[in-house]
Amino acid sequence: MNGRPGGGDDTPSPDGMTIVSYLLGGLAVWGGVGWLADRMLGFEVLFLPIGLVLGLVGSIYLIITQYVRS
Amino acid sequence: MRAIVAASGEGCQDPHIFNDHGCGFEAPGTSLFFPTPWLDFGIPLTSGITKYTLLLLIVVLLVSAFWLVTSRNAKVVPRRWQSIGELTIAFVRDQMVRPGMGKHGDRYMPLMLTLFTFILAMNVMGIIPGLQLPVTSNLAFPAVLSLIVYVLWNVVGIREHGFGGHVKAKLVPSGAPMWIMPVLVPIEFISNFVFRPVTHAVRLFATMFAGHMLLAVFAAAGFYLFNPDAGGILSVVSVGYSGMALVGFLVFTAFELFIMGLQAYVFVLLASFYIGEAIEGAH
Repeated sequence: MNGRPGGGDDTPSPDGMTIVSYLLGGLAVWGGVGWLADRMLGFEVLFLPIGLVLGLVGSIYLIITQYVRS
Repeated sequence: MRAIVAASGEGCQDPHIFNDHGCGFEAPGTSLFFPTPWLDFGIPLTSGITKYTLLLLIVVLLVSAFWLVTSRNAKVVPRRWQSIGELTIAFVRDQMVRPGMGKHGDRYMPLMLTLFTFILAMNVMGIIPGLQLPVTSNLAFPAVLSLIVYVLWNVVGIREHGFGGHVKAKLVPSGAPMWIMPVLVPIEFISNFVFRPVTHAVRLFATMFAGHMLLAVFAAAGFYLFNPDAGGILSVVSVGYSGMALVGFLVFTAFELFIMGLQAYVFVLLASFYIGEAIEGAH
């Protein structure tokens, strides 16, 4: 939870919540794609972890380029 | 209170600790949030007229009355009620709308002000004695409010930048190389168009739900532990622990009041940031 009521001169920002939705979004999208690929190609667990890692990397990349550097 | 008492002693004659009936403690469950309908029309997927409907009606009347009283006969030099209204307006504008939208925000003040007072009143219903059910502890209410903000976010973005411009600003991150786009665009889509409105609603719902549950557990525990007739040391122990539960209930009621204000503030602040971002375009 970001932003405190009457918090002096530091302007509250919703970046914290955006970052959470990026992390969730990355995991859900690429994890979901990996899971679907596993289902369709008949693997037990192969593309799901690959997808989860890819999604996490993508999310962190987005967070760094969009919110940390700017 | 009656709902809580019933929850701690369903089918038990004397639901207290240390007596001969041997009733165990039944913690209040999610049935608190599904009150029995007073009028059920039998339409599938609807709840009928419940306590939520009544509380919603009270909230609408209260908030409308508040703004009627504070804005009627407005004078240049504000009197008592008018100055309360103007303080609220200044608080919403300076703490929530301007940080998110800057000067653009003044056009959205009516919406933001309504959202803030409406959500605050719905939350505070949770600690009004006799009513004690925050309206926002039912996901339907925050969901509709966040849907309004979501639709407005899209409408404002499309009006300012055109459909393509709005979608591009939300989907294509600036400054990323082309080869990585296939990975990033789906993430941007899900997090901006799906998870963001969902978390916007769930944040308000979940805090109100959990806070109300916490208060109900304290109240039920205080009721269950209170048995001065247990005899000897057991009476002292039971009344002592019951008193501690009561103190906890009071402390957490005060804390809940703070959370209720904070969550109304956070909801409106995020709404203003989302719409401000749609006006700006690319981040």
